[in-house]
Amino acid sequence: MYAMIKVEGLTRVYGTFTAVDDVSFTAEAGKVTGFLGPNGAGKSTSMRIMVGLTNPTKGRATINGSLYADLPNPGRHVGVLLDASAQHDGRTGREVLTLAAMTMGLPTSRVDEMLELVSLTPSEAKRRIKNYSLGMKQRLGIAHALIGDPKVLILDEPANGLDPAGIRWMRGLLKEYADRGGTVLLSSHLLHEVEQIADELILIGNGRIVAEGTKDEILSSQGTVGQSLVTALDNEALTVALKAKGYSVEPIGTGMRVSAAPAEVGKAALEASVVLTDLRDGGAGLEDIFLQLTAETQREAIAPAHPEGASA
Amino acid sequence: MSAVSVAPSTPLPTATKVPFGRLVMVEWRKMTDTRAGRVMLMITGGLIALVAGIILLVTALSDMSALDASTWMSALSFPVSLLVPVLAIMIVTQEWGQRTHMVTFTLEPSRLKVVFAKLLAVFVLGIVTMAIAVGIGAIGTVAGAAIAGSDPSWNVTGEALAWTLATQILYLLMGFGFAMLLLNTPAALVIYYGYTLILEASVFSALYFIFDWAQDVFPWISMQVAMMPFIAGNEMQAAGVAVEDGALGIARLATSIALWVGLPLVLGTMRVLKSELK
Repeated sequence: MYAMIKVEGLTRVYGTFTAVDDVSFTAEAGKVTGFLGPNGAGKSTSMRIMVGLTNPTKGRATINGSLYADLPNPGRHVGVLLDASAQHDGRTGREVLTLAAMTMGLPTSRVDEMLELVSLTPSEAKRRIKNYSLGMKQRLGIAHALIGDPKVLILDEPANGLDPAGIRWMRGLLKEYADRGGTVLLSSHLLHEVEQIADELILIGNGRIVAEGTKDEILSSQGTVGQSLVTALDNEALTVALKAKGYSVEPIGTGMRVSAAPAEVGKAALEASVVLTDLRDGGAGLEDIFLQLTAETQREAIAPAHPEGASA
Repeated sequence: MSAVSVAPSTPLPTATKVPFGRLVMVEWRKMTDTRAGRVMLMITGGLIALVAGIILLVTALSDMSALDASTWMSALSFPVSLLVPVLAIMIVTQEWGQRTHMVTFTLEPSRLKVVFAKLLAVFVLGIVTMAIAVGIGAIGTVAGAAIAGSDPSWNVTGEALAWTLATQILYLLMGFGFAMLLLNTPAALVIYYGYTLILEASVFSALYFIFDWAQDVFPWISMQVAMMPFIAGNEMQAAGVAVEDGALGIARLATSIALWVGLPLVLGTMRVLKSELK
């Protein structure tokens, strides 16, 4: 295995509060791993432990087999962005990158390369961070993480503050990075941000991993396949046909929810010669699973999943 | 999608441990690349120039005889002792205040190395500033004598120079220690100025001459009182005060330094090494 992040039994306890509870996973090379959970689920604490800013109570995290603190010139191995706002307000964007390049022993040409990569113009680079928008800080943070040409990226909420075009840009950038064999671990509390870019997902709530795998793996492991939402010109005729096949049917809005996969519903409609106007998968989407699994840590009480249009 | 590739256009040098010297250079740069840092340096320089200017002006306008070199040195080291420790405080506390410590310590996980790099950078700055102050003092001695029409009085001994330098370094280390202990700019400044300007300059010296017990206790807990026998032994003798510059005097000096410089440095370093950074 090349340049992967391995987290084993990571636990961090603060007094009586367990922020990270026995978390183990592997983020593999060539893949984008999404670390997903609501605010306060333990994502940031886990990431800080990975880069040695916080000591674990138990367990350990290694980068390609060694502890972060043992990496020679770690900026050249791991690109880290934990908080884009954690930069000195009075420094310019260029100065922040110059300090990083100096520490890592890189030529200053690398600073210009990175500014160009994240589309910060020369005049923007000369401005102090104080006058940066969160999106600009985030771009600078990504430049800072990439400047040492690391093989591993650890990014905490990197899409935070980016506009939709910026999010798309970052997605492309990280995809390219992973395709070159890099390892990317990025966290988010927003599912749709991660869903489209991550090859692997790790869902965390209350400091524990509640589900992990590819999107499809998580969906099927939660047993939410075999539900459809259907609307027909003659709903009653279709209901009769479906019930005759032993499926349960429950009216919802102008249509029905059926305990069968869309293909089965389509077949039944064909046999009963009923015209369908709408037929789609009614299984719970990733978002519902995410909310259900992490319900205990949500600040707002979550109503039981009503996945109308959840797969839209 | 970006047209620019993530990959470097030219291969980067291979990754080896970050050399200590490079960390010192980076810390040096951090002291001077923000407006706050530049303003502090400018104020320090400006105050030294201002004090020198006023002394020369007064010498020129009054019938006062020219100041000797040792008076020049103590006059000009005052702005240094006032401001250079602030830089020693800021080089530490600013990282926590602006939360750049997260970046600093991910690029160099050895926190002790970073602490030493900061200390060395600000130490060099202190020496350079002191050298400038002493240099301007020498120029002032000559210029003042020329204005007053007398011969310059070079009454600074090597010993006096060493004590002045040592005092400045102790104050710098003290500021640095309190900065690491408190990790907060205002708090560290209050403690530093509270000690040097209130305790040392007013409270200790006032009480020292009033109460007998103060003369027993203060040499152990006040760096300035403990240093007096070594710096101003002759004056003390002239005033009829017992001068303890033997083993007892050295023990007192060591104790006061351990209390105000050693303890904050040790406890502060421990705090920096152990604390969670977020």
